[in-house]
Amino acid sequence: MGLKRISSTAGALPTTTATAVRRRRHGGQKCGNLKLTILCGIITILVLRGTIGISLISFPSESTTIPRHVAEETDRIVAEIRSGENDDSESESVTLTNRTYTLGPKIIDWDSSRQKWLRQNRGFPNYVNGKPRILLVTGSQPGPCNNPIGDHYLLKSTKNKIDYCRMHNIEIVYNMANLDEELSGYWTKLPLIRKLMVSHPEAEWIWWMDSDAFFTDMLFEIPISKYEPYNMVVHGYPNLLFEEKSWIALNTGSFLLRNRQWSLDLLDSWAPMGPKGAVREEAGKILTANLKDRPSFEADDQSALIYLLVSRKDEWMDKVFLENSYYLHGYWVGLVDKYEEYLESSHPGLGDERWPFVTHFVGCKTCGGYGDYTMESCLKSMERAFNFADNQLLDIYGFRHKGLLSPGVKRIRSETTRPLERSLIRSNIVDVV
Amino acid sequence: MLERVLGPRYARQFQRIVRKGKLTLLCLVLTVVVLRGNLGAGKFGTPEKDLDEIRETFSYIRRRAEPRRVLEEATTAVEQKSGGGTDNGGNSYAEFDITKVLKDEEDGVEEFKRDPSQPYALGPKISDWDQQRSEWLTNNPNYPNFITDKKPRVLLVTGSSPKPCENPVGDHYLLKSIKNKIDYCRLHSIDIFYNMALLDAEMAGFWAKLPLIRKLLLSHPEIEFLWWMDSDAMFTDMAFEVPWERYKDHNLVMHGWNEMIYDEKNWIGLNTGSFLLRNCQWSLDMLDTWAPMGPKVKIREEAGKLLTRELKGRPTFEADDQSAMVYILATQKEKWGDKVYLENHYYLHGYWGILVDKYEDMIESYHPGFGDHRWPLVTHFVGCKPCGKFGDYPVERCLKQMDRAFNFGDNQILQMYGFTHKSLGSRRVKRVRNETSNPLEVRDELGLLHPAFKAVKVEPSS
Repeated sequence: MGLKRISSTAGALPTTTATAVRRRRHGGQKCGNLKLTILCGIITILVLRGTIGISLISFPSESTTIPRHVAEETDRIVAEIRSGENDDSESESVTLTNRTYTLGPKIIDWDSSRQKWLRQNRGFPNYVNGKPRILLVTGSQPGPCNNPIGDHYLLKSTKNKIDYCRMHNIEIVYNMANLDEELSGYWTKLPLIRKLMVSHPEAEWIWWMDSDAFFTDMLFEIPISKYEPYNMVVHGYPNLLFEEKSWIALNTGSFLLRNRQWSLDLLDSWAPMGPKGAVREEAGKILTANLKDRPSFEADDQSALIYLLVSRKDEWMDKVFLENSYYLHGYWVGLVDKYEEYLESSHPGLGDERWPFVTHFVGCKTCGGYGDYTMESCLKSMERAFNFADNQLLDIYGFRHKGLLSPGVKRIRSETTRPLERSLIRSNIVDVV
Repeated sequence: MLERVLGPRYARQFQRIVRKGKLTLLCLVLTVVVLRGNLGAGKFGTPEKDLDEIRETFSYIRRRAEPRRVLEEATTAVEQKSGGGTDNGGNSYAEFDITKVLKDEEDGVEEFKRDPSQPYALGPKISDWDQQRSEWLTNNPNYPNFITDKKPRVLLVTGSSPKPCENPVGDHYLLKSIKNKIDYCRLHSIDIFYNMALLDAEMAGFWAKLPLIRKLLLSHPEIEFLWWMDSDAMFTDMAFEVPWERYKDHNLVMHGWNEMIYDEKNWIGLNTGSFLLRNCQWSLDMLDTWAPMGPKVKIREEAGKLLTRELKGRPTFEADDQSAMVYILATQKEKWGDKVYLENHYYLHGYWGILVDKYEDMIESYHPGFGDHRWPLVTHFVGCKPCGKFGDYPVERCLKQMDRAFNFGDNQILQMYGFTHKSLGSRRVKRVRNETSNPLEVRDELGLLHPAFKAVKVEPSS
C-alpha cells in the first residue's frame, strides 16, 4: 500500500519545500511501513517457531515437544531395525530333498547314558529336595514385533513367568534363536526341546510354554507325582481326541515332556510334518482331511501331534496323560471375563475353573500378523490377566493394582516394624522339604 | 478519491485510522495465531496438526512401506472375524492405543497413604533387623541364606515401567535385556525379581529402587545379597562369578574408585546402576540415610542444587540417587566407609562407551571369565534411554550397540548348544557344532552347561 506510493513518487526530484514536506511524509510513511514490515517479520518468526520449531534467533528451548528431526531420525532407525534381516528368511532357500528330515542323529541309549551321567555328576541331580527338576522353556522371535505393543506384552508375559518360576523353583530358558531353518514358526519348539533335553540331563521335565500364555494362579503347584507313570502331560480331552479326532482335542501351548528316550523318539516321530515348504503344505492337507473342523493351512505342531497320537495310539498313548482337571492350558475366551467372579468366590491354589492356572491367549497374535480377535479384546484381556496374576504377588508385599486395567498400584497394608510376623507366601506353597 | 468524499483533513485522519487499524488487525492476528500455536483451539486444531495434515497429503505417496502400514493394508483386505466391531475396529494392532484403555478403578480395597505432614520415611524405623532375621533363619532351615558354603543366596532386582515404551522398539530391548539377565542368573543360581510397580509415587524415577529394595529385604530374609541392576545394563561375561568371599566384611559393593569419592567428591566416582547390598540392619540404616533427598518435587529440587554445589562435575538437575550416595560417602566416611567396597577390578558396572567397540578385539585376544577390561562382566548403556524416544546419545549408536552387546553375551549361551550369531550385528544364528548321537560326551568350550559354581552341595551318600 504504502510501498506503492513510495515507488510512484520515487522518480520526482526534491527541489521545493513542498517536495520536502512530501519527502517527510514519505519518510513518515516509510517509517510506518518499516514498522509494519518489522511486525510482519516478528509474526512470521513466531508462527514458524510455533509450528515447525525453527528458531532464527535462538531462544532457550524449554519446549517439551520432540524436535521433529530427531523423531524422524528415530523412526527411520526403528524401521531399519525392524526390517533388517528378516528372520524367517527366504535367502537360505529350503531345498526340496528326498531325504526325510531328522532332528539329529538317532540317539538310542539315552536312558542309560543319562543315568550314568547323573551318577557321575551328583552336583547336578535331577531331583532337588524331593521334587523333580523342571526347566520351563519359552521364547519369541529374534526381531522386534511388527506391532510394538506386542513386545510390551511379551515383556509382561516374561515377568509373569519369572514370578511364577521363582516361587516354584523352576528354571527358565528364554529362546530367541531360530535353531533350525526348516522347523520354523510353531515347529521351532521341537529342535529346541530336544537340544535342551540332551544338553541338560539334570532336567527331569521340560515344560514348553507359549509366549502368549500367562500364569494366573501363582500358588498352584503342578501335581507332578501324579505323572510318575507318564512321559508327556498335555491339556486335552480323550473323547475329543479319539472319538471326534478334533484338531483342538489337545493344546501344545503348554505341556510337559519327561527327559527320556521315549520323548526323543516321540520328537523324532512328531517332526516329519514340520519342514518348511512342500512337506509342511502337503502335511497340512492330510491333517485337514483327517481332523475334525481343521481349517486349511500348513501343518502345525498341534494338529500333527493329534494325528500322531490318534493314528499310532497303541504306540504312544500309554505314556501320555491328557490332563483336564486343571487348566494346564486355559483358553482365554470365557476365562478372562470371570476374574472378578473368581476374586469374589474363590482363592488361588486351585488351578481349575474356580481359579485358572494358565490363561492362554490363543489366536491373539499380538506380536505380528492378524489374529482371530479384535485387538481391543486381546490387549485388554491380557492386561487383566497380567494384573490378576500380579495382584497375587503384590499381595505378599502389601500392594495391589488400582483395578485390573491399571498399571498403577496402591498400598493395602501399612509397613510394620516386625515384617516377619506376617506369614509369608512360603506357608502357602507346598513346602519343599 | 477519499479526499473528494470526506475533505482533505478527514481523508488524512481516515487514512491514519486505517493505517493504525491495519496495525491493530495485524496484532490481533498475531495474538490469535500465537495462542493457537500454544494452547490449541479445540476442533480448529493446532498448527502442528495443520503441518501434519499437509505432510500426510504430500508424502503418503512416496512414504516407504513400513511394516505397520503394510499390516494395515493387509488387514483391511481380510474379512473381520469374530469380535465386537468397536470404534477401533480391525484386528490390526497398529493403530490401537492401549493407553486409552488402561485406567484406575475403585475396587473397594482401602488404600494406605503416608501421612504427608510427617517428614518422608521409607517405613517405620526397624532397629533389630539382624536379630529378627537370624531368628527367622533358624526357624526356617529350608530357606538358608547360603546355598553352598561360599555362595550366598542372591536376588537380582531390576524393572521397568508398566506402561508401553514411547519408543516403538524400546520394549523389544527391554525384553532382550531381561532374557540376557535370565540367562546369566540361571547359570549362576541367582533369582530374579522384575519390578513393574511404582511402590511410592513420591520416590518415582531413579529413586523408585529404594522403597523396592527395602521391601524385598524385609520380605525375603533368606536373601543374603540383593543385586540391583538397571534395565539398560547387560551381562557380557556369562562365565564370570562374582567373588563373594571378597565382600564378607562389607555390606555395600559398588563399582567406583575411592579417590574419586573421598578425595574428589566426583559425581561419577561410583555407579548405582549395578550394586550389591547385604540384607542386614546396616543396609536398612543406609537406605534410611539415602532416601531423604529423593521425595518429589521440592525436596528433590533443593537437594539437587546442594549436590551440584558440593560434587565435582555435576550438572544442574534434580537430586539423583547416585549423586546422593556420593555425597553421603564423601561427607560421612567414618560412619559408612568401612562397610562399603568400591570395586574396580572388574566391571560390576561397565560404561558402554569405552567397551562396545572393542568386542571383536576381546574375542580375538581373550575369553569369558575375566569380568574386567579384557571381557567385561556388565556393559551398562548409561544415557541411552531406549524406552524413551531419546537420551544423551544418538539413537542409532545406542540401539545398534545394544544389539552387539546382547549378541556378545548371547554367543556365550548359544555356544553351550553348538550355535553362535552369524556376526555381532546379526540376529541370525549358525551352527558351529554338529549334532551327535552321544551328546553327553560333548563338553561346551566354556564349561557353562554344568559349571562348578552351579553345582549343589553334594550330600555324603552311600
